Amino acid sequence: MSGIIETTNIINSYIPVAVFLIVSLLMPPMTMLIVKLLSPRSRGAEKYSTYESGSIPTGPARIQFNVEYYLYAIAFVLFDIEILFLYPWAMVYQGDTGVSTTLAVIEILIFIFVLLFGYVFLWKKGALEWIR
Amino acid sequence: MPMSWELQEAWTHVQARLTGEIMVDASLIPWLRGIVGLVLIGGLFGAGMAAIWIERKLAGDIQERYGPNRVGPMGIFQLVADAIKLFTKEDIIPKNVDKLLYVSAPIIIMGSIFLMLVAIPIGAVYINGVEYPLVVTEMDISVLYIEAISAISVIGIFVLGYGQNNKYAMMGTFRNIARMIGYELPLGITIVSVAIMANSLDIVEIVNSQNPLWFAILQPLGFVIFFIAMVADMGRLPFDQNEAEEELQAGVFTEYSGMRFGLAFFSEYFHMILGSFLISLLFLGGWNLPGFITNNFILGLILPTAFLVAKATIVMMFIIMLRWALPRFRIDQVVDLSWKRLLPLSLINLGWAMALGIYLGV
Repeated sequence: MSGIIETTNIINSYIPVAVFLIVSLLMPPMTMLIVKLLSPRSRGAEKYSTYESGSIPTGPARIQFNVEYYLYAIAFVLFDIEILFLYPWAMVYQGDTGVSTTLAVIEILIFIFVLLFGYVFLWKKGALEWIR
Repeated sequence: MPMSWELQEAWTHVQARLTGEIMVDASLIPWLRGIVGLVLIGGLFGAGMAAIWIERKLAGDIQERYGPNRVGPMGIFQLVADAIKLFTKEDIIPKNVDKLLYVSAPIIIMGSIFLMLVAIPIGAVYINGVEYPLVVTEMDISVLYIEAISAISVIGIFVLGYGQNNKYAMMGTFRNIARMIGYELPLGITIVSVAIMANSLDIVEIVNSQNPLWFAILQPLGFVIFFIAMVADMGRLPFDQNEAEEELQAGVFTEYSGMRFGLAFFSEYFHMILGSFLISLLFLGGWNLPGFITNNFILGLILPTAFLVAKATIVMMFIIMLRWALPRFRIDQVVDLSWKRLLPLSLINLGWAMALGIYLGV
């Protein structure tokens, strides 16, 4: 763990990411181009229709979803942000950056306690029950 | 290994060239690293095909049948035949789909997998006792980066399901998202507890810090949680509610056919390979074997990578066999397992990692 990180080093370590991003964006269209050159084509109304176990599709598929999904999603966003706070903490708490270890551990225990309080609250409120 | 004098001379010459000029210079040019990395990933494509072949062979063995055995010796070219078949299939875009989402979904899923590959070391070489990890790019925060990129594949699956305008696909997507966001939390917390022990978010550092003792031994609970969450994250069978064949036809892939299906399907296998590598890197010591140190040039070149690949293969075969050993869970069981069991357990593991980290004085 170096204290000072140079900007050029960070940029250098992300240039391969850019290379991969470009390739991953190009690869599926290229594959489909090859498929277009190789594959046969035929027409027919039936094969472009939506599959619904052989019957004619009724109504749109994009229905409103159950509220339980939203509850899980909101709980997830809260906890995920709280976990993100743990990452920088995990890097500094052992004292080699001038942070007092005891203080850091007490602080994170309080933090996790608050997190647990919200978790127990959610559980008791029934937000973690799957409604059938 | 005793060598004749001339050979030794030649070897030192080669070593000097490798370490002194080519290796060091090449590793400093990021563009070159990216392109060399692409070649490595091309090798991983072969691994993906091998994974599908292993899966079909193992499935055959478990169910007391042969599996693929016609194309080539032991059916090893079956996948080549399948790929040719996929390439010659007609590209059908149904008329009710949202065309932009339909076309871009495989790109997003493929892209998230590709971007994860950048930061995952696939081996290491020892030259003159110095370790060079085989990774496309070296970052300080590679675990955090992988965690962040893997969240993109959730968006990919949502785009995949929503764009098709199909009821089965929509249901599969809902289930998939409920599952994936549930398992993201225990995954994140166990990664933090690994990072605490290693005092770094760099995978290479994490591997190096488990040289005498693997994290699977120091944090058995964390290993189990991470393994379950990883299997759930890649959607392997006890957790494949998004494409439960008996209920949802092909689930999120219902309207996809031909090569577009092939791309999405192949990226799932890539995800499994990546997950096996990640499990063996974070918890099973990566390319380390306890007590293994070599100064031999050739062994140092081959063995660490071979250890890592062997560990990842064993993990992968275990995950594949899990598919034939366990029935599929119901979606409410899956969600309960993540929110009510794994999340509290992973917090306990975090406390354990903290205490152990302070006790060992890392």
